[in-house]
Amino acid sequence: MSNLLGLESSWWIPCYGWAGTALAIPWATGWVKRSGPRPAAYLNILLTLAAFAHGLWLLRQVWGRDPQILNYPWFRVADLDLTLSLEISPLTIGAVVWISGLSLLAQIYALGYLDKDWGLGRFAALMGFFEGGMTGIALSDSLFFSYALLEMLTLSTYLLVGFWYAQPLVVTAARDAFLTKRVGDLLLLMGVVAVSNFSGALTFSDLRDWAATASLDPTWAAWMGLALMAGPLGKCAQFPLHLWLDEAMEGPTPASILRNSAVVACGAFVLIKLQPLLALSPITDGVLVAIGTITALGGSLVALAQIDIKRTFSYSTSAYLGLVFVAVGMQQPELALELLLMHGLAKALLFMGAGSLIYTTATQNLTELGGLRSRMPATVAAFAVGSLGMVALLPLGCFWTLTRLALVYGVLQPALVGVLLWVNGLTALNLARVFGLVFQGSPQPKTRRAPEVGWLMALPMGILTVQTLLMPWLFGRWGLYPDWSPELRWIAALLTASGLVGAAIGGWLYWGSQRRVHLPWPELQDLLAHDFYTGHLYQALVVQPVGALSRGLEWLDRNGVDGLVNGVSLAFFFSGEALKYTLSGRMQLYVLVIVMGVVLVTAWLLHSLHLGLAY
Amino acid sequence: MLSLLIGIPLLGSIWIGLIPERAGKSIHRRLALGFGWVLFGLSAGLLLAFDPHLGSLQLAETMAWIPQLGLVYELGVDGISLPLVVMTGLLVLMAIWASGQVERPRLYYSLVLMLAAAVAGAFLAQNLLLFFLFYEVELIPLYLLIAIWGGPQRTYAATKFLIYTALSGILLLIGFFGLSWLSDAHSFTYTVLQAHPLPLVQQTLLLVPILLGLAIKIPLVPFHTWLPDAHVEASTPISVLLAGLLLKLGTYGLLRFGLQLLPDAWEQAGPWLAGWAVVNVLYGSLDALVQQDMKKLVAYSSIAHMGYILLATAAATPLSLVGSVFQMVSHGLISALLFLLVGAVYTNTGTRDLRLLQGLLNPERGLPLIGSLMVLGVMASGGTPGMVGFIAEFTIFRGSFPVFPLQTLLCMMGTGLTAAYFLLMVNRVFFGRLSEVATAMSRQQVRERLPAVVLATLVVVLGLQPAWATHWIEPTTADLAKSVALSAAATEGVVGKLTCFMACDSS
Repeated sequence: MSNLLGLESSWWIPCYGWAGTALAIPWATGWVKRSGPRPAAYLNILLTLAAFAHGLWLLRQVWGRDPQILNYPWFRVADLDLTLSLEISPLTIGAVVWISGLSLLAQIYALGYLDKDWGLGRFAALMGFFEGGMTGIALSDSLFFSYALLEMLTLSTYLLVGFWYAQPLVVTAARDAFLTKRVGDLLLLMGVVAVSNFSGALTFSDLRDWAATASLDPTWAAWMGLALMAGPLGKCAQFPLHLWLDEAMEGPTPASILRNSAVVACGAFVLIKLQPLLALSPITDGVLVAIGTITALGGSLVALAQIDIKRTFSYSTSAYLGLVFVAVGMQQPELALELLLMHGLAKALLFMGAGSLIYTTATQNLTELGGLRSRMPATVAAFAVGSLGMVALLPLGCFWTLTRLALVYGVLQPALVGVLLWVNGLTALNLARVFGLVFQGSPQPKTRRAPEVGWLMALPMGILTVQTLLMPWLFGRWGLYPDWSPELRWIAALLTASGLVGAAIGGWLYWGSQRRVHLPWPELQDLLAHDFYTGHLYQALVVQPVGALSRGLEWLDRNGVDGLVNGVSLAFFFSGEALKYTLSGRMQLYVLVIVMGVVLVTAWLLHSLHLGLAY
Repeated sequence: MLSLLIGIPLLGSIWIGLIPERAGKSIHRRLALGFGWVLFGLSAGLLLAFDPHLGSLQLAETMAWIPQLGLVYELGVDGISLPLVVMTGLLVLMAIWASGQVERPRLYYSLVLMLAAAVAGAFLAQNLLLFFLFYEVELIPLYLLIAIWGGPQRTYAATKFLIYTALSGILLLIGFFGLSWLSDAHSFTYTVLQAHPLPLVQQTLLLVPILLGLAIKIPLVPFHTWLPDAHVEASTPISVLLAGLLLKLGTYGLLRFGLQLLPDAWEQAGPWLAGWAVVNVLYGSLDALVQQDMKKLVAYSSIAHMGYILLATAAATPLSLVGSVFQMVSHGLISALLFLLVGAVYTNTGTRDLRLLQGLLNPERGLPLIGSLMVLGVMASGGTPGMVGFIAEFTIFRGSFPVFPLQTLLCMMGTGLTAAYFLLMVNRVFFGRLSEVATAMSRQQVRERLPAVVLATLVVVLGLQPAWATHWIEPTTADLAKSVALSAAATEGVVGKLTCFMACDSS
């Protein structure tokens, strides 16, 4: 019985975050000024800790059990039944623990990072909202609620990116983040409306059953799949809806930590849950693989040309999420999840490192950094472990995941192994480049007197470093590793080699004493730094046509529709003005007109007796 | 009970009108607030008296007035009018509260209460002529409220409003006379007319004037140009009433006269109406995208949102009908909130021009609370989950999709555009560096903020618990959908129609 009670309480977990938001409001709005904003942050950290502990406890309860579905009726009207349904399984609770753990670390980190910022209270409130939404997505078994929570994440991304709303770049970044994601969300909503009509169901488990037996028109199936895919597409910053993540790096770093690890993972998580529906149409899977490949190839290239330390990492996030998309398209949901987990940890660590650099040196421009090797030991460790965790290096982080993916692709679609090698190699190159530019070489003006960050930032960084190092051991304990077969050896060797080649090139180019910041060819540098000019593409294909259409319609509205109305009124007005000159004031004339009128009417009435009116 | 909802504000209107201006500075306001509270209390009390499980007309009152003409004083309330009546009570109170120190308070408050009585009467009337009477009575106070307390172009705007709405009234009257004279019942009572449906040809002929009259009132493109002008010139509380209540008279008419009294013609016209809804949504949204005046922007957004209601009533499934009434409530609350906030920006900065305003979220010298509520309001309007706009629109889209899939998808694009134009507005006005206009701003009292906070709370509460709104509506709309489907089946001899299937399925 107690066991049952325990599971019943799982819906509390998202509520911890939201309660934190509600409790932080007095500080966020500035009603309480005397205590400073910190109490709001403490409250939120406490509640996140509660969510984390609760999640861990639940994880112990559900470990090794079958998934359970909990249903809470929420809204029933006519034939629409929106039931809040939660899936309680080791996977979902594990995701909850992972998310709340990362959120906890990010919030402690924020205490240090936003130390002197008056908006800390607002930040804490938004982080609570963010965390609530993400844990909700992890638990939700209802497509409707996952959609709603994704949309809430869009809103909180907007507010978090726009945290420093007085800066011009932040203003556009927040706007673009919201609008780009909104495009994806809107298509997802269309998909949700369509799929709930076709299937009559809205929970993932019912949809899975339906998809197994459904006989849907292939065109509709394809369109539906594409629409459903669009939401995660925007959320995971995949081509062509990827530009927002790059701009979003203008926001505060503690939020970027979560955004690049957990938020993108939430989008992919929904995608993985939708996978049975996407599989209804072969086109959808093909599109998934294609988009993933394009983003993975392009993102890892573009990352090489970024001189903003956060932006270079954000492109690598897009690239890795591209690999996840490919994995989902190739029907490998388990490996996709594993990649999300591993990438998320390493990326969060890298962002923490980047944040501590930005905090100490007050710059995020790689050209202004350098020679920090001996000054910031914790940051160096975080960077090194994070980088190693990103690439396929035995035995750390992504090695096993990428190897097993390559093993699967080797059978199904060998070209995709090339994609993995490419991403792995270029990521290694880029990480070596960043590491070289930041830590090697001679100190620059801004890095000459850089101290290590305080414990509030160093502690979360340290914990995450240890966790990243421990992850392979944990996976070993859970028995997730395959046996060494000859093919596996080959693949492992290839992947390691690609990483080593990348790292060697990066080291050779950027670890030397002379500082080479840009790529050798300026055209290439520009092309990549501007992300293949995707921004111009948006302008030409979406922003300008819609703008022109709106302006045209507005003109029509003012001059056509309203002009007609005003024209009619003017016609009446002027005819009245003209007619008034016929009024001379002479009685005789009036009488004459009246008599003539009467005569005419009488004559007409007499003439048309058959109307029956003149009796 | 129902007569009190009309009588109390009318009494208030007369009472306030009798107290001379020199009697005191704030006595008119205090009296008006008192009457506002009583009206709100009464309308909320209606929720207790109303049995939500019944879909039929309740608390009916009948009294012969001029029976020779067919004018019978008949009131009643059902699931369609109940939410609107309650919202009338709420928004009138909010409007009085937000009015503050107006010039010539005697006339002002007297007119506002007269308007309240007329709107409540129109929602409660169960007789076509009585409805028409209230519909016309509402014109006079609103015309004066715009023409006396409005902006610089107020005479133009008020006259335009008057002419448009008077025309709409005449068209409605033509339709009403036709309804009564052509039927063998010779009555103006809704229920009697509903029991004696006309043949399809006559229904279609009558639908044209009625639809045109309502299209002016709602307003639908291309009869909408009076609305942005009226909103821009009207003062804030009047805009609240205009957007929150008066537009709803039109959409209410769609359900009452279009769907309920002319079901067969309505069904025939369905695809056309859905197409019209799409035009309305996209046209309004695209126009809003380029507006530079905040109030005009919100006004165009209102026009676009009315398109969703038209779509839902055209589809006429049980779900979409609940959605249409729910959307009326949702739009009433959200647009009232938005107009209050825009008004607050205007009173503080002296401008609503998007080119001049910037950075108002500044915590020290800006309007942080207004800004935060504005973010909430525009997100609600743009359909962010957790707020009432989303669930109302979702209900509409989900309900209309089986009947008009393509039109529904096109209308959904409107929600994307809504998010876009509102976000651009918030981004420009509240983000960025504080602009020149705003730095010279003086500190204002908080009187306009409390109504906004109340409305924002309602928007969130109903977003989290939509059933609190829909369970009043659902039995009535379910009955309506069923009767419409049955009548359609009877006239066409086809039972297998989708609407009927849905209606039978849900019951």
